[in-house]
Amino acid sequence: MSDKVELEEISAADFFYRNKSLAGFDNSVRATYTIVRELVENALDAAEIAERPPKVEIILKEFREKKTGSLPWYKIVVADNGVGLGPEEIPRAFGRVFVSSKYRLVQSRGTFGLGGTMALLYGQITTSMPFKIISARLREPVYEITMNIDIKRNEPVVLDRKILKGISRSSFTIVESYFEGNYPRAKKKIVEYLHQTAIVVPYADISFLDPEGNLYVFPRSTDVMPERPKESLFHPKGVDLELLQRLIESTNTRTLKSFLVRHFQRVGEKTAKEVLKLAGLPPDKNPSKLTKEEISSLFHALKTYTKFLPPDPSVLSPLGADLFESGIRKELQPEFVKAVQRPPSVYEAHPFIVETAIAYGGQIRATGEIQLYRYANRIPLLYDVSSDVSYHIIKRIDWSNYGIKSPEDEPIVFFVHIVSTKVPFKTVGKEFIANVPEVAREIELGLRICARDLRLFLSRKRRKELLKRRYELFKIYYQIIAETLEELLGERPPIENLLHRLRVDIGEEYGGDNRGEEESS
Amino acid sequence: MEEITEVKRKALEIARNIADHIKRGDFPEIEYPPNTQSNIAFDEEIGYTFDPKNYSKIRGSRVKSLKTLAGVLYGLSRALDHLESGLTMTKRDFYYVHKVERLKGTLFPQDQRETDSRIVLMELILGMPREAFSITSDPRGWIYGDIELIDRSGRVLRADQVGEMGYSVPPRPENIKFKRIGVKAVIAIEKVGPAKNMIELGIPEEYKIAIAILQGQASRSMRRFLRMLSDEGVPIAILTDLSPWSLRIAATVIYNSINSAHIPHLASPEARFIGILTDDVENGFFKDYQFALEPLTPADLKAAQDNLYLPNLQAEFWQKENRWFLEKKKKAEIEIFKAMSPSAKKLKELFLEYLREKLDEHLGISI
Repeated sequence: MSDKVELEEISAADFFYRNKSLAGFDNSVRATYTIVRELVENALDAAEIAERPPKVEIILKEFREKKTGSLPWYKIVVADNGVGLGPEEIPRAFGRVFVSSKYRLVQSRGTFGLGGTMALLYGQITTSMPFKIISARLREPVYEITMNIDIKRNEPVVLDRKILKGISRSSFTIVESYFEGNYPRAKKKIVEYLHQTAIVVPYADISFLDPEGNLYVFPRSTDVMPERPKESLFHPKGVDLELLQRLIESTNTRTLKSFLVRHFQRVGEKTAKEVLKLAGLPPDKNPSKLTKEEISSLFHALKTYTKFLPPDPSVLSPLGADLFESGIRKELQPEFVKAVQRPPSVYEAHPFIVETAIAYGGQIRATGEIQLYRYANRIPLLYDVSSDVSYHIIKRIDWSNYGIKSPEDEPIVFFVHIVSTKVPFKTVGKEFIANVPEVAREIELGLRICARDLRLFLSRKRRKELLKRRYELFKIYYQIIAETLEELLGERPPIENLLHRLRVDIGEEYGGDNRGEEESS
Repeated sequence: MEEITEVKRKALEIARNIADHIKRGDFPEIEYPPNTQSNIAFDEEIGYTFDPKNYSKIRGSRVKSLKTLAGVLYGLSRALDHLESGLTMTKRDFYYVHKVERLKGTLFPQDQRETDSRIVLMELILGMPREAFSITSDPRGWIYGDIELIDRSGRVLRADQVGEMGYSVPPRPENIKFKRIGVKAVIAIEKVGPAKNMIELGIPEEYKIAIAILQGQASRSMRRFLRMLSDEGVPIAILTDLSPWSLRIAATVIYNSINSAHIPHLASPEARFIGILTDDVENGFFKDYQFALEPLTPADLKAAQDNLYLPNLQAEFWQKENRWFLEKKKKAEIEIFKAMSPSAKKLKELFLEYLREKLDEHLGISI
């Protein structure tokens, strides 16, 4: 490189360092929340990859008191029951800001695909303290590695490596790090995040000991886990030019035809030929010999070809209605809950599945605002609710059709979960879903299906209450009548027979068995 | 006593019917003829009559009418209790017997209208006036004149020897028997003042007429008493102010009223409205005294407008009288006699002159 080069090549870590706000680290409050979140997501992923119900423990402690002009430092410890890592894997897994080189498509949890490394990096930047990973695989030694990240070179630097124990009887990973933050102001969001996570990951045990000494426990309600997503190839309409170039650079196929068939789903020999004809490229051309212009026309052909089958939704891992309901029940204890999983759908060649739920009554209280829990790939979205497409859909629906006067003033909570290989976030902040018509349609249909069940539930409940009130009223009036008759006739007629008839009416709503008996007697 | 038995018999019949239903596990019902327009007829010859064609049911199976059913039953039990103890109660008393601790949240009334309308319902169910089941009004109305009657205690009384205003008509005059009637006619007078003057001037004794003092709208007991006299063949003359209200007072004595149409024997179709009539003011007795007329108040005028639609005022005579108010916007009061002459001596002559003329004209009676 000459001295005149103005463009400076920077590492991913350096890039992150300069653009903290993109990843949710723009201020100390937000950073505190993001660090907890990223490490928890990492921990959940570790257990899920091992296909065991996650058990995640979080301890956040004040490490250095607040001084004038600076914020307090915190020590965060997050432990999971995942598969654990070997001594050579640890530096690679935690010591580099990970630039995705995935050439395969799968739904992943981490919002940025960068895992907890950024969280650790933030700690390093604000405190200059190294972080520590303690991990063990089953029946292997327990390693403790103290390390930091060389930001410029984006490489792990191991400072210390110890074996704490010869043989571990369980597998686990513990991450310990220090950062400058602001827990008091981030507290509400963090607790809310854990609560909402407990709903969408009902098979996880999560506990959190906060710096104020509060212990939050979110026990699992089930051991059943959703099916793991399957990996699959990219759909030809779902790739951008950058990705196409990288695929071409790395492929070891020899012809364009086999390149298309090997690296894309829904592309067979016939389709590959048609696409290449559209691109004006010979099928047996070696991909590595393509010019920039030829790559561009291949890309254009992929975009304009209309006969691809829709993308394969098996890469998606939705929660499923039963698990969703289980999570909602355990965290909110509603009187009614209904969850729905919509069939897979596609927008701009990205497969997605919408899951919706409505919970009503029980421990839920009206707040005067719409209560909407949003999830994307099993991560709660806590910011910018009123910009979210789901919020607008809820505002638009006439709830009186479903027995709800106004959702703001009733004990009702809405849930929308979108799983997709590319969640249609509106902004780089990735906090709310854009108004994509295909997605919006599924959300609305899902909510309306839940609402229909709610209407049925409410009308039954209200009718039952009405009958119950009627019964109570009849009871007191017939008592007066009986007393008066006793005074007039010297004999009190038994009113129990009559009242029994009413009680049967009430029972009918849910039982119904008594009815035939009553009529035949 | 006979009447008590009848009330009791009917009340217990209703109670037993309700009890039987309950024992069978059925919802009880009470059937009764409601006092709706379709069940009330009006006939110029006999006044309002209650002619039930349609019946209603108070159903113990419906939330709304269950309260009514319990209320009627409770009301009957209170009425029987009072009746057997020889006690009467006013509408206000009846309201208060519902304001008891154990009825809170059920029959405890919001206001008296609630229990008042229940009384009417009980009248309709039993087919008897409330006086029969011990709910009476404060007595209003007197009769003064040579009439000997036997009251319910069996005493013989002469209606011109029991006080300055005469015999106070009791709430339930049914029990009264006439022993001897020594009068040619009864003049029912709206206002107490002029009526008392006639008594004080000795007119009843001198001219063998009785004075019935209505004191405004004739009470149910007064109307019943007048009807009893009418049934005895005594001619009844009605003397009121000349005002939209007085038209109603006169018509109510003659025809009964819509509100009490379900109570029989309250109309006296033989009674005659002798004055004050519009003709008396326009061409007759008071034609030179138009200066003494009073202007109609807004309320009076409103009453005149309402009179256009009252069923018992539809005959041409009443409508002609009523039109005069709407046109002239004036009224005359019986006190106008005092404006004709402030002298007491002259007053008696004027009264007599007017009564002679009117009794002769309307009833063919000379005094």
